[in-house]
Amino acid sequence: MDPLLPYLACLILSLAIYAAIRPASLTFRIGAIVATIAAAGWLLGIVAGFLSSLEGDAASPFFIIFSLALIGAAIRMISHERPIYCALHFVLVVIASAGLLLLLEAEFMAFAIIIVYAGAILITYMFVLMLANQTADPNTPDPKAYCDKIPREPAAAVGVCFLLLCIITGTVLHGTSQLPSQPSETFAWKTLEHLPKQFKASVLEFDESFVWPPQINEQGVAIQLEGKTAYVVSSEGVRLDLDETLLPTNTQSVGWSLVNDFPVSLELAGVILLMAMLGAAVLASRAIELGEREKRAVFLKNEDASS
Amino acid sequence: MLASFGAATLASYLVVSGILLVIGVVGFLVRRNLIVMFLCTELMFQGAAIAFVAVGRYYLDYSGQVMVIFILTVAAAEAALALALVVFMYRQRDTLDPDAYGELAE
Repeated sequence: MDPLLPYLACLILSLAIYAAIRPASLTFRIGAIVATIAAAGWLLGIVAGFLSSLEGDAASPFFIIFSLALIGAAIRMISHERPIYCALHFVLVVIASAGLLLLLEAEFMAFAIIIVYAGAILITYMFVLMLANQTADPNTPDPKAYCDKIPREPAAAVGVCFLLLCIITGTVLHGTSQLPSQPSETFAWKTLEHLPKQFKASVLEFDESFVWPPQINEQGVAIQLEGKTAYVVSSEGVRLDLDETLLPTNTQSVGWSLVNDFPVSLELAGVILLMAMLGAAVLASRAIELGEREKRAVFLKNEDASS
Repeated sequence: MLASFGAATLASYLVVSGILLVIGVVGFLVRRNLIVMFLCTELMFQGAAIAFVAVGRYYLDYSGQVMVIFILTVAAAEAALALALVVFMYRQRDTLDPDAYGELAE
């Protein structure tokens, strides 16, 4: 493969993004968006094709659908003139990336980002868009505000876009083939070993005749591996092969990893949320101070009420 | 049980997340509306989240998904604070153009 090919794709992609964000007629912009999606698909094809020539596995059709929807919605989001539609396209971005997370078998995170992003954060954005609505003034002839029409720094943006894309693509192309080796697929049993109550309950449910507790081998673990099958040995010496359905689910494993590997970060996240709440409360209490015009309106209202 | 996947699949996820991040950066630089600029930072967060989960999945490790929880935390905190600031500044200047806030200190 020509080593310059991915960089050419990066260049075309950034030029297409530039065409999509310029103010122009609708058909031109739609064409530019289609060109952007095509360039992104080409870049993906180059990268995946190069790497699968090394080992040979193909992307699933769902991955292609979700990633194209993701990129298209993101482009439309940054190029749309009305902020409300930007927010709605961001919902589409969130749903498409939740689809990608589902393909990665991260079910809990997929639904968590839909709930938190599309449900909570986007509602906040919608509220603020309504509060700071620039198009409400009936005297402006053009309903689109100036700040939504003219791009701020398109040339700098495309330069940054091209550089970042080149760096990311180059790293992915040259880095992923030299990644350290993957752990064995059977290491998920260790998580079950760490959850003693569930371990006992699921083993006894799996086979009621099993005599608890299992024997601990010389490495100090009860679940022993033989190739890809895991088994426990009961205290009477009976061997029991474990089924894959006994493995902890995605949510259980994420929760275990959260409290076992990152306890300090969990506390820090709590502190960050507390600080955000305090800061928002302070800002909101300051924002209640009325401007001159509103003060007069309130004063006049009080006069009316007293007279 | 999770089956491992190859470096090519990982690379395509990483490229998608990279493109998403780049689109977020472009939007942040290009748009003149403060609210949409903050939406673009959320776009960058999304790109980072997909990269985290993909690499975590490649190594059959759940730390990547735990990082997404922290990303969600930071995104929620950022949205609350930034939007409170935007409303505050909008009431002072009557515009959402970031160039109008050059001399914010009064």
